[in-house]
Order: sequence, then structure tokens, then C-alpha cells
Amino acid sequence: MEIFILAFFAIGYLVLAGTDIGVGMALPYLGRTARERREVIAAIAPFFLGNEVWLVVTGGMLAGLFPRLEGELLAGHPVLVVALLLSWVLRDAGLWLRSRLAAPLWQGCWDAVIVAGSWGLALSLGFLFSGVLLDIEGPSAAVPAAVLAALFAAHGLAFAALRLRGRLRHRAAVLSGSSGNAGEVRTFVLTAAALTVVGVLAGLRLPLAENVAGPGPAPVAILALMPLLVAAQAWVWWTFRHRVTGPSYL
Amino acid sequence: MNTVDLARLQFALTAGAHFMFVALTLGLATLVAVIQTRATFGRSAVHMRMTRFWGQLYIINYAMGIITGLVMEFQLGFAWSGLTEFAGNAFGSALALETVVAFFVEATFLGLWIFGWDRLNRWAHLALIWVVTLTAYASAFWVMVSNGFLQNPVGYRRDGDVLHVADFGAMVSNPAALVAFWHILSAALLVGAFFMAGVSAYHLARRTTEQDLFRKSLRIGAGVSLPAVFLTATFGGISFETLQPSKIAAWSRDTAQLARIQAEMAGLHGPGDYLPPTDWVFAGGLTMLIAFAVMFPMAGLNVLLMLFRPVVRDLRVWHWTLVAAIPLPFVATLGGWVFREMGRQPWAVYGLLTTADAMSPLTEGEMRFSLFAFTGVFAVLVVINYWLLARAARRGPDGVALGAERRPRAPESSDPVLTF
Repeated sequence: MEIFILAFFAIGYLVLAGTDIGVGMALPYLGRTARERREVIAAIAPFFLGNEVWLVVTGGMLAGLFPRLEGELLAGHPVLVVALLLSWVLRDAGLWLRSRLAAPLWQGCWDAVIVAGSWGLALSLGFLFSGVLLDIEGPSAAVPAAVLAALFAAHGLAFAALRLRGRLRHRAAVLSGSSGNAGEVRTFVLTAAALTVVGVLAGLRLPLAENVAGPGPAPVAILALMPLLVAAQAWVWWTFRHRVTGPSYL
Repeated sequence: MNTVDLARLQFALTAGAHFMFVALTLGLATLVAVIQTRATFGRSAVHMRMTRFWGQLYIINYAMGIITGLVMEFQLGFAWSGLTEFAGNAFGSALALETVVAFFVEATFLGLWIFGWDRLNRWAHLALIWVVTLTAYASAFWVMVSNGFLQNPVGYRRDGDVLHVADFGAMVSNPAALVAFWHILSAALLVGAFFMAGVSAYHLARRTTEQDLFRKSLRIGAGVSLPAVFLTATFGGISFETLQPSKIAAWSRDTAQLARIQAEMAGLHGPGDYLPPTDWVFAGGLTMLIAFAVMFPMAGLNVLLMLFRPVVRDLRVWHWTLVAAIPLPFVATLGGWVFREMGRQPWAVYGLLTTADAMSPLTEGEMRFSLFAFTGVFAVLVVINYWLLARAARRGPDGVALGAERRPRAPESSDPVLTF
């Protein structure tokens, strides 16, 4: 039960937040002017807050259900964890702050921070996974890390193709060829499946079963709440199911 | 400084920064929800403008709360794995519940509230801000259950080197958690009320447009500040009943009692220094009490003065006093946290696990690196965010982007001069 809960939130994070991390990575490619970039950000704006909480909850599940493993994972990779958190923090700050001022220099700087933070997040997750999944540490871990980062970028592009219109959609659909909506959906399903596989494999490599914290009321309560959480998220995805028509608050 | 001191400094800075923002978040969310309720039921245009203006300030402030909060969550596992490994099943499960029961729903629905402004039915939109507010309370509740467990561990069973939940009900109804939760909730309302009154007073003093909107806002802020300060002081007073003996002794500077506690603890746990840093505890508590001594009469006076329309409109001295008072509740809450957390030392889990033993096996270099990295980034972001908050507050309702999505807007790049 505990392993299912952890897997649910961790894989949910990879697939859902993978979209906005990837869009952030591809921001310079997708949006060539400040106005275009704001429209690209509007594609992820309503979701990014609801996406990143999946990692917050994954952290909470590690702390409450697998405390020993949490300590080993986090304290065992100090540089990566600091890099991951800093990238996350800077990226969030960029997304929140970028459109609060119309000055080009301000927006340009925060756009750069969003891109750097998204790459930093994808790469530090990539390095963590290559350590956990493949037992590769040191410089050679850069190869699997880059592969995972590329997967995030592809996932972001696939998502952007489903959310944007016109020229921006055309740019994002570079991975789907000219097969229209069906091709865009197919690409997205493929990248989502690939991220799920990465998550499952990493979970299989972790010593989860021997690190369960022991009995307590939390797992049952969490399991009972899951349908409610999914329904809340589904409401967001349903409300913003249409393609973006212009800039949003972010 | 040794590694433990560095880790403590890092956590104190992160937690302090986090609380500065979440206190205003909790208080302002409540006030925004109340105002939006009034706007929705009465179909009142001015209250809807108030909702958008105060909602915008709430969101600017919210961003820093979440950024510092997520770092804090992972810092626990990163720098304090001794604590999570020792008390993960008890302390950690309260934190785990916080993320699932409260924060997940709060963040999901806040996104819907921000971006769904013109897309959702207005009753659904109103329901969202209430869910966001109540889940923020729930979040504070579970965080205080976790913190209360560290202050006064109850409902646990010890198996070797690990604590397990034995009585979940006792853990949740821990007086060290519950009283502190109500104290903090009232304090957050006080922070929000002083903020709303102060920002409104600025606009009334400067005679900006929208005088009606800010008179209404000032009355809400001033009116809420009195019950808020009263409740904060009441629960603060009750919480003195729940303090550890060493904290009380440090606060009252009772050297005889301190010596007795030291001897007793050394008898139980072996030789060592078992006393909290008396000066910090005393200074934190004193700061909090002095701030209250100013805020209490001020809140009473505010409620009296707000009854007279000419005073609300024209009494500049009062306006500028209200502006100057915005930082007071912030200072009080920080002082309160220093008092509470310093007074728990040298224990991470009182009587069970020392702070030094709670540390992760990190080297001093690793700890120094993470301390400087986070402190540097947070310092810059906090300054930028407060500057932005002050700017949005000064510019008033006309500059609000929240809920303005569907309005006709000038192309961004055509005339940047206009936007300053």
C-alpha cells in the first residue's frame, strides 16, 4: 500500500510536471519574442502549481512512509539535492514574477531564469535517476541525465503542441510530423509512457519494501483521499482543456 | 560555527522567511474570502474590485511562501535525516498528511481560482477561495501537530531507535500543538488585518483614486485587528501552560530552576548541557510582548476611530501610524518563533533526541555550500518580492492583473513607458 502511494505521486509528478518542465526547457525555441513566450507560458500556467505539488507530496510520503530512505536519498546526494531545489525555486520565482512588470529587461531576465531553472531541474532529476536507476555516479552520469532531460523536453514539446495554436503549435509539433491532432496526441502518449517507465524502473531499484516505516493511520487516510485529489486535479484539466487564446496571469 | 550550527542557521533562516510570507497568506486569504463572499452575494462591484486588488497582493505574497516552504520540506530530509529517521513514523506522518490533506488541494484550487477568474461560475469561484483558505488552515494545523510533537512528544511508542505512532488521537490533540495552532491562526489574521489597514491608510492619506474602496478596506482591517489581537494574546497566554520547564525557566531567568533542570536532565541522559540559550529565549519572548503592548491599545483605538467617517477620511496622523504599524505583527511573530524554537534547545524532539543527533551525516563543506546557496538566492528573491508587493500595493486597484485576463489590453511591447 505504501509503495503504491509513493509510486502514484512520484509517477504523477514525472508525467504531469514533466509537461511544464519541458515547456520551460523549450521556451527559447517555442517563443521567439517576449509576447510569444508569454503565450507559451500561458499553456502551462494553470497547471504548474497543481503539478509541482505532486513532488511536494512525494517528499511528504518519503518523510512519513519511508523516513530512512528519505534521509539516504536526500543527504546521500547533497550537491544534486541543492541543485534540484535551487533550480525549482528559481524557476518558480521566474514564472511568478516575469509578467508582474512590463519592462523588457525584467521579462527577458526572468525568461532566462525559467529556462535555466527548467534545465537545471531536468538535469538534476536526471543525475539522481542515473544514480538510483543505473548506479552511475560521477561524470559518466551525464549521459543518462542528458537522456532523461531530453525526454522531459520532448514531453514538454508534445504537451505544447496540444495546448498552443498557429505558429507556436506548428513549432511545438516538430516531433509529430504533419499528422495533425492525432499525431500530437500519439507523441504525448509516447513521452508520458516513457516517463512512467523511468519512474517504475527507478522504484523497482529502490529498497522500498524493507524501508516502510511501519504501521500507522496515515497510509489508509491517504489512500482514501486519493480519489478526491484526482477529482480536484481533473477539474483543473477539464476547465483548461482548450487551446490557449492569449496571455494569462503568469 | 560547527556543522550543526550551520544547519540550524539554515533552517532558522528558511523557516523565518517562510513564516513571514505564510502568516500574511493565511491572514489575507481569510479577508479576501470574506470580501469575495460579500461581492458575490451582494453583486457589489466595489467589493469585486477589492477582491481583485487584495487577491493580487495575496498571490504575489503566496509565491514566496510556497518557494520557501518546499525548500523547508526537503531540508528536513537533507540536513536533519537523524530526525526523520528517528521520528519519521510519528512526526513525519503528520507532515505527510499535511502535504496530502491540505497543501495538494490548496495549490490545485488556488491555480483554478487565479486562472479560472472569468471561466467559472461565480459561486464555484467563490467556493474555491474558501477551499483554498480552509486548506491553508489545515496545512497550518498539521504543521503545528508536527511541531507540537517536537515540543512535547505524546502518543508515541519507542522501539529501539525509532518512534512509532501509538495513539494518533493523542498526537493530534497534543495541547502543545492545538493551543499554538490557534495562537498562530489569530496572529496570522492580525498580520493580514494590520496589512490591510496600513495599505488602505496609505491610499487615504495620499488621496489616490478609489477612496471608497480603501475606506471600506480600512474598516475591515481595523475592525478585524481588535478580535485578532485579543485572540492571539489569549491563546498565547494559555500556551504558557504548555511550555517545557526549561523554556519557562529560561524566560523567567530563574537560575535556581535552570540549575535543577540541568541536574535532572544530566541524571537522565548523561553529562551534557541541557539548557536553552537563555538570552535568545528571553529576547524573543520580550520582542513579542513589547509588540503586543503596542498593538493591543492601537487595535482598540482603531476600532473607535473607524466609526467616524471624517476621521477615516482625513486624520492623516492616524493614517501614517497605520502605515508604520504594518511590520509590528511580523516582528511579533518572528519573536514568538525564536522564543518557541530556541526554548526547545538542545532538543530536536524534547527529551528524546538532541539537535546534534538529528543532523544528517553531511560534511561542513556541504553544509556551508547549501547554506550560502539558499541564503543568497532567498535574500535576493525576498527583496524582489517585497519590492513588488509594495509596488502593487502603492499602485492600487488600477494596476491589478488578476482577473483582468479577458479585458482588452495593449500589446505589451508597443509602449513600455506607459507601464511604469
